[in-house]
Amino acid sequence: MNYPVWELYTTGGGLFIACIAVIHVYVAHFAVGGGLFLVWAEKRAYRQNSDPLLAYVKQHTKFFLLLTMVFGSITGVGIWFTISLLNPSATSTLIHTFVFGWATEWVCFLGEIVALFIYFYTFGKISRKNHLKIGWLYFIFAWLSLFLINGIIDFMLTPGQWLQDKSFWSGFFNPSMWPALAFRTAVAFMFAGVFGFLTSMFIKEKALRDSMNRACALWIIIPFALMVASGYWYFSVLPDSVKLMVTQYSPELLPYVNVMVAGGAVLFIGAVFLALSLPLPVKKITAFIILIFGLVYMGGFEFLREGGRRPYAIYNHTYANAIKVTDQEQINAKGFLASAKWVFNRQITPENKLAAGRELFRHQCSFCHSVGGPMKDILKLTAGYSEFGIDSRLDGQGKVNPYMPPFMGTVAERKALAAYIVQGLHTRKDVPDIVVPAEDKPVDIPVFDPDEDEYVLLAWNNLGMHCISDSDPYWVLLPPANDLFAQVIRRGELPEVVTQGVEITYAVEKGFENPSAHVKFWDHVKSNFGTQPEKNIGLSGNGLSGTMHLSQDLMAYEASLIPVVPYPDDGSYNPYPTFTIEARDKKTGKVLAKTRTVAPTATEMGCKNCHGGQWRVNKVAGFTDETSANILALHDKNSGTTLLEMAENGKPQLCQSCHADPILGTKGKPDLLNFPAAIHGWHANFLSNRDTSACYKCHPSRPDGPTQCLRGAHANNLDCTFCHGYLEDHALSLLKKEEEMGKPGAKRLMAHLTPRTAKSLEEINPRTPWLNEPDCLNCHVDFERPDIETASGFNRWTQGPEELFRLRHEYTGTLMCQACHGATHAVYPAKNKLSPDLDNIQPLQYQKNRRPMGFKNCWVCHMVPMNIPPAHHPMRDMAFMEDITEQ
Amino acid sequence: MNPQHLIPVADTIPVHWGWLQFLLILTFTLHLLAMNAMLGSGIITLIREFIQGDQSHQINKEVSLKLPYTIAFTVNMGVAPLLFLQVLYGHFIYTSSILMAVYWISIILVLILAYYAAYIYDFKFDALGEARKIFIALCVILLLWTGFIFSNNMVLMIQPEKWTAYFRNPFGTLLNLKDPMLLPRYLHFVVASVAVGGLCQAIVYTLRQSKQGNVDAVRSGLNWFSGATCVQLAVGIWFLVSLPKDKMMLFMGQGTLHTTVLILGIFGSIAALITASKGRVWMTSALTLATIIAMVLARDLLRAAFLTPYFSPADLKVAPEYSPMVVFLVSFAAGIGIIVYMLKLAASGKEG
Repeated sequence: MNYPVWELYTTGGGLFIACIAVIHVYVAHFAVGGGLFLVWAEKRAYRQNSDPLLAYVKQHTKFFLLLTMVFGSITGVGIWFTISLLNPSATSTLIHTFVFGWATEWVCFLGEIVALFIYFYTFGKISRKNHLKIGWLYFIFAWLSLFLINGIIDFMLTPGQWLQDKSFWSGFFNPSMWPALAFRTAVAFMFAGVFGFLTSMFIKEKALRDSMNRACALWIIIPFALMVASGYWYFSVLPDSVKLMVTQYSPELLPYVNVMVAGGAVLFIGAVFLALSLPLPVKKITAFIILIFGLVYMGGFEFLREGGRRPYAIYNHTYANAIKVTDQEQINAKGFLASAKWVFNRQITPENKLAAGRELFRHQCSFCHSVGGPMKDILKLTAGYSEFGIDSRLDGQGKVNPYMPPFMGTVAERKALAAYIVQGLHTRKDVPDIVVPAEDKPVDIPVFDPDEDEYVLLAWNNLGMHCISDSDPYWVLLPPANDLFAQVIRRGELPEVVTQGVEITYAVEKGFENPSAHVKFWDHVKSNFGTQPEKNIGLSGNGLSGTMHLSQDLMAYEASLIPVVPYPDDGSYNPYPTFTIEARDKKTGKVLAKTRTVAPTATEMGCKNCHGGQWRVNKVAGFTDETSANILALHDKNSGTTLLEMAENGKPQLCQSCHADPILGTKGKPDLLNFPAAIHGWHANFLSNRDTSACYKCHPSRPDGPTQCLRGAHANNLDCTFCHGYLEDHALSLLKKEEEMGKPGAKRLMAHLTPRTAKSLEEINPRTPWLNEPDCLNCHVDFERPDIETASGFNRWTQGPEELFRLRHEYTGTLMCQACHGATHAVYPAKNKLSPDLDNIQPLQYQKNRRPMGFKNCWVCHMVPMNIPPAHHPMRDMAFMEDITEQ
Repeated sequence: MNPQHLIPVADTIPVHWGWLQFLLILTFTLHLLAMNAMLGSGIITLIREFIQGDQSHQINKEVSLKLPYTIAFTVNMGVAPLLFLQVLYGHFIYTSSILMAVYWISIILVLILAYYAAYIYDFKFDALGEARKIFIALCVILLLWTGFIFSNNMVLMIQPEKWTAYFRNPFGTLLNLKDPMLLPRYLHFVVASVAVGGLCQAIVYTLRQSKQGNVDAVRSGLNWFSGATCVQLAVGIWFLVSLPKDKMMLFMGQGTLHTTVLILGIFGSIAALITASKGRVWMTSALTLATIIAMVLARDLLRAAFLTPYFSPADLKVAPEYSPMVVFLVSFAAGIGIIVYMLKLAASGKEG
């Protein structure tokens, strides 16, 4: 931002530095080691009194001169030119800190040049002793220049104490300087052998050639041990963050370790090979291969070193995109475009959004990302993602995975950058989600005769919405599995919840009987769940119709894990299939009562909003393979798994097989976060400072969407965040519990989450998912009307399962709360997207209103007016219920 | 857009700016001398190859042997002033380099090719026969290109008001070809090279034992020097009048120091012409060196004049740490000492 940025496309992302640096370093190391090689070879020639060997040395010197003096030195200047062009900010820091180190290195260069010229041109013209002296002086100057540049290079990775005292000496004698020097010295000698092989192949006399080959082999083999030892030493002094970067955060770096190992192995084995007596053509080819692999080896090492430094150019000081760490706060406060010097668009308007985005890309991304080129091609990396997805990705950048610098700037700037990437670079425009209007389908309300009917049958789905991930070929996080409950009440002055002598059956409405025709759950259930229920049968053996079983503890009948899916046979998306529930006398088979209830089930799981792909079904719901696969690909990259490969080999996995989840009853792997903590904790880092939109980007609660799952009385004036907190708080409450349990992964996810509903992290109460939930009584204190000013559902949790709304009973312990009030998120009076009264069937059936059961008409069950205080729970201020507008 | 806002923030320097300025000027002068010798010898040899052909076989071969040295030392001597330039004026030179990045980075490949062409001209001088003209031509053309790019950069560096062109072209292909200063400035360096190249020839042959061939070479070298210096005086005037009026007036009376160095330079070169016509090689060399030093100072003053509205090295904040400079100076002295020792060894012959 301080300097202009050279706009490159295909050749961007640091390609020039990569090419020129690796080539120069290869030749430069040879220039150092080769100096000693020359002196050694010359001495050997004198010792053996061998004119042919001396002639070879002279020839090798010429080669040495032409390679190192021209190519080596000019590419060295080339690195300087290149880094000043591609990262002048970091270069300026280096130059201003190490000017006299470089100046001293220049003295060494001068000495090298003079020495090498003299060495070459006075060969045979001055005394042997003096000639060797010149050779030695060349080597000493060369090694000193390595000594000097090495300190500066290692400073970039481990600046050490310099960050505090800014002293040249602290910066130069930094933590990794000595091991790196040992390493590079060893490598320099090895490369002397590599190039020695090349030139000695052209010795005409076989005996001399073989003897030189054997000697060159030793030049590789002997320093090899020092190279390995100093390599380990080098690695051991690196800070943990660097080690983690290579081993965990940037998995694409690990292959470079293999490159180094492969390169080193080829050098070693090739050296041994060439020490043998073999036909000359074979030897020449081998020597050439070794030469190539020397470059490969060097390239692997330099790539690793540079990559390990991510996200910095100078560690903890300057990011790879030239922005200083100390400028970060100011940029985020003022905005990047207002802070940077070399931008044209200082503010974002609708007209200049893409142009501003282009400048943001240039200044923050192009340092590492080419456009259509070999270096981290941004086109490949962002292919298929929406603007929202890219924006969220930028939001979370550098938080849980520090391999990239964080995006710096305002939210508007971040969005402009996302827009530029999608519209400018990919020339795509997002397909917005369609607006689904509310429908007004008629509802069939079963008949109830208040005078004659002896029983009231209440039935509900325990969750106001059961979500399904129909991504089965790749993974599952929730299968088709609705839980229906029912309670039968024998009417009378003292009503009784019946638990004997009745049989409760359930049956789905027409069109939903064959879910296996619409989802692939049954094709992959063995892999995902380890069991193989028949088609259209759920995980606990229940089908789309059947008999409910009594749960004595709950005093209610239950049919669990019913595999209903929101895809009726007509090809539409319908998240509210209804079930007919009938109570029959067990002995006589007579129907005692009948009702209907919705079993809400949605596949409007919004992963595609960020993970690429579109909706599969009717443009409103369902997973495509593209979305499902992308999630696994990213999970593999971020967590070192092989889930995509497993899925493609026909072995998809249940997410909760590794991540424990109380709702599925899985234990998972003991060291991993539970599933809700993991998924919310991870994604909260990418969706910061959002309102309830953060919820409906994933959950089926989009107001314009086809499901709109928050549809009960609370939907009038509350959104998800009123009870569940903002996403950051929601995640922190789960993560805090995991941290207390000693799970290693919690801290990293928590580090960048800022509480919003609570004032601080300390204030947030930890919770176990599905078991500690907002308690209705947080707001409805003593069952009263909430105080709008102070009421908040967040941060006070139910103590245990018996306090959960879906498992709770009223004071007599017989009636479940949901029996009278309706399901969570759809408490009476509800308004359903498909048909306004679809969730109000039972109040309409039994009491011709949409209120909780028994509202101002206890006679529904008691058959007489009740003039005593209600035993169920306090209902002092019933009047407030009058105010709720019937919908 | 106010150019002042575009100028990047400078980093701190470790010693008083005077030290760095001194080192910059000193090492730039050395670079300039080597560059003049290299380019000038190359141009002269090229012209001789085409005009005299085989007649100048011997002398061209002599040059070919030395041309690679001159390139090596020009590049090496260029490293130091480039270093000190970045310390004092980095926020200017990096910026201008980026604006013309494609051309700037082309220098690397160009230099490698020029260098190898010089070696081929050297090592294969006899074997190539007529074809060697191609290599000397290639070498000289590539070096001329390099010089042109350098001149471009130096001119762009001192004119931040031209930097706004970046917003129309961020692709690194900005060359300020329309600048009236550019061509005369560039030619001033090129013609100077020819003069110095000729002078080098005169010096080399003076140092050899007196033979007719050598005496002719000395005379021819001085002739090249004189001819080029005459042209140089004209080009110099052109350079002067191509400057913006206020800068030109500094050198024409308004600035004492500016005018003094310019006058010294002009008188030095005229005096050198006179001594050259008398065949006095050493005096000519001394006067030429003095002229060059005066011109380097003038160049530095010109740069300062252009940058005055924006910056001067005295503005740089100092975060003092002198010990590294001490180490450098000691190393430099030791280095020179060792180099002298090595040269002695080189001259020692087989018995030494």
